[in-house]
Amino acid sequence: MEDQRRTPGSQTSLREANRARIVDAIKKHGGLTQVELAGATGLSPATVSNIVKELSSSGLLHTAPSTRSGRRAQHVTLAHALGLFVGVHFSTRHMRIALADAAHTVVAEHHMPLAKDHRADNELDKTTLLLADMLDSVDASMQDLLAVGIAVPAPMDAETGTTARSGIMRGWDGVAVADVMERRLKRPVYVDNAANLAALAEFRLGAARGKRNSVTLDIGDGIGAGLILNGEIFRGHNGVAGEFGHTTILEDGPLCRCGNRGCLEAIAGGPALLDGLRDQLGSLKLNDIVLRAMAGDPVSMRAIADAGRHIGVAAANLCNLLDPERIVVGGELSRAGELLLGPLRHAVERSIIVGRDLMPDIVQGQLGARAAALGAAIFAIDRVNIVPDDRSV
Amino acid sequence: MTMESAVADTEGATREPVLSLKGVSKGFGAVRALTDINLDIYPGEVVAIVGDNGAGKSTLVKILAGVHPQDSGTIMFDGQVVSIPTPTASRALGIATVFQDLALCDNLDVVSNLFLGREIRNGLSLDEEEMEQRAWSLLRQLSAKIPSVRIAVASLSGGQRQTVAIARSLIGEPSVVILDEPTAALGVAQTAEVLNLVERLRERGLGVLLISHNMADVQAVADRVVVLRLGRNNGDFHVADVSYEEIISAITGATDNVVTRRASAHAGSASAAAAAADASGTGTVESGITEDFRTHETPAPGTEENPQS
Repeated sequence: MEDQRRTPGSQTSLREANRARIVDAIKKHGGLTQVELAGATGLSPATVSNIVKELSSSGLLHTAPSTRSGRRAQHVTLAHALGLFVGVHFSTRHMRIALADAAHTVVAEHHMPLAKDHRADNELDKTTLLLADMLDSVDASMQDLLAVGIAVPAPMDAETGTTARSGIMRGWDGVAVADVMERRLKRPVYVDNAANLAALAEFRLGAARGKRNSVTLDIGDGIGAGLILNGEIFRGHNGVAGEFGHTTILEDGPLCRCGNRGCLEAIAGGPALLDGLRDQLGSLKLNDIVLRAMAGDPVSMRAIADAGRHIGVAAANLCNLLDPERIVVGGELSRAGELLLGPLRHAVERSIIVGRDLMPDIVQGQLGARAAALGAAIFAIDRVNIVPDDRSV
Repeated sequence: MTMESAVADTEGATREPVLSLKGVSKGFGAVRALTDINLDIYPGEVVAIVGDNGAGKSTLVKILAGVHPQDSGTIMFDGQVVSIPTPTASRALGIATVFQDLALCDNLDVVSNLFLGREIRNGLSLDEEEMEQRAWSLLRQLSAKIPSVRIAVASLSGGQRQTVAIARSLIGEPSVVILDEPTAALGVAQTAEVLNLVERLRERGLGVLLISHNMADVQAVADRVVVLRLGRNNGDFHVADVSYEEIISAITGATDNVVTRRASAHAGSASAAAAAADASGTGTVESGITEDFRTHETPAPGTEENPQS
């Protein structure tokens, strides 16, 4: 251990830091020329050239000749010899698209806000165009793309490939997302519920690593749960398991968008929280509440704590039913950290049947807003068989 | 659900608008470009102005930017009545305007463009180092994808140029940023960049006035949508409770506006429908809609008439 410690100020540590800088800059921009790299990192062109040469011979980077402003230049991207996979996450108000290689390294990423009640055709068009643009930025073509995973914030009917219940995403009703997207991209497309894919990502790369029985809660505008049971995503008979947000916690509670009364989502979901705060704080987005709460605004803190308590009641039921080893809390609201988790944990403790020592630990997700997009990419990677000979360069 | 969301809700109770227009009118000769426009912008809020061609969007921007002063009406900034006779006055108040053509110098690099006219001096010479550092920190705060600040603006993409123009507007620490058609003529990836940027401005607590034709973009980032039609206010919606179709119907004039509602309030409930149809000049087909409207929103006309309350 002793000799592995970094020695600050030494040539080696400086070189290491410079390498990291270059890789970070390429990750951020997708691809850059060496001259641009020098500008973006503040390193001298000679250093950039040396490090790029070193990293491309070790297989981490890939260089290709190109031109910038009429001059010859070296376009540097992360290497993606095996091919690329893309994960797309549509949430109610956002779209995130991550381009990753087979080793789960994200080589390019984009996100954009979406309109309320966005429509499938518009958004899938946008995705296709964005994807083409991203492939271009990492110096790859559609041929390098092996598969596409899409995360949708609604339960998917495994048989028809459409959302399992109309009205949850009004603009996507009756659209067989995978088929439609396959026709646009001519690549295999796999679609699943965003909560399932967020759970998959947390299980493989995040806070639930190594926990073969875990639940990932996705708490944002909607509330969902991804169940990992015996190391596999549990989808149920029809593929719609994990509709955690629509468990009834108040028999005569407020009307939910699903048509029932007293669903968790109608009480602790994003729109319900925002409606409750509107009289005091005006029109806000969920993110504003999280930021305000973290800055110490008592009204927002209270709203988040209340949401945590309600979610905790439902989570306790879930724990009694499934006995998971760990509960990972992800989604937009989870950025509030202990403001949400504290009351949630407390409510679980109160209603769970087993003793304290057998209670699952409740932790914040590690992948943040990217979880579902990464999960979608992992889902696509899992579904495709990579034959090395096929794609050798 | 009512057709139009309540405009004058409790928002004003706890917060003061940073910029507020009351009864602003502007004419060019015989043309009434704007009549009696009311508009409030709160800090940390994105307000989109939409409307057909000739609705008066650009005139409104020009009044706020100090290009043309208004003929009548008041503009309040931070609770003070102000006049904006020149672009310099607008900028000095803290209103930054990014025009559609961006007004960047193609042959200069990003740093020079950002600090054009506001160069940081170090004695007699320019403090290039300080400017470059401030440029980087600003672009980083906006998560801008600009590879280098020392390349000429001519070699940047449309979205990157928009980013530079927006970043430039932030140099003077404004409290309101006006973006005129920021996503027109941009590809999807660049549009995504600009929309993210608008969200970032919002997070910084700035009031953002967004002029756009693209309803998807407007609905993606705006908190409120203000519809102008033929130089008048024709609706003020919270994005959270309005549908795409309702905004379009306000833009095209298929639904009621301030004038008809005011007329119906004056005329009393018995003759209101007739008066409304009369005042708006709508035919018999629309009068049914107007009638429907009135019954849905009895409190709305009163609040609309006196937005201060």
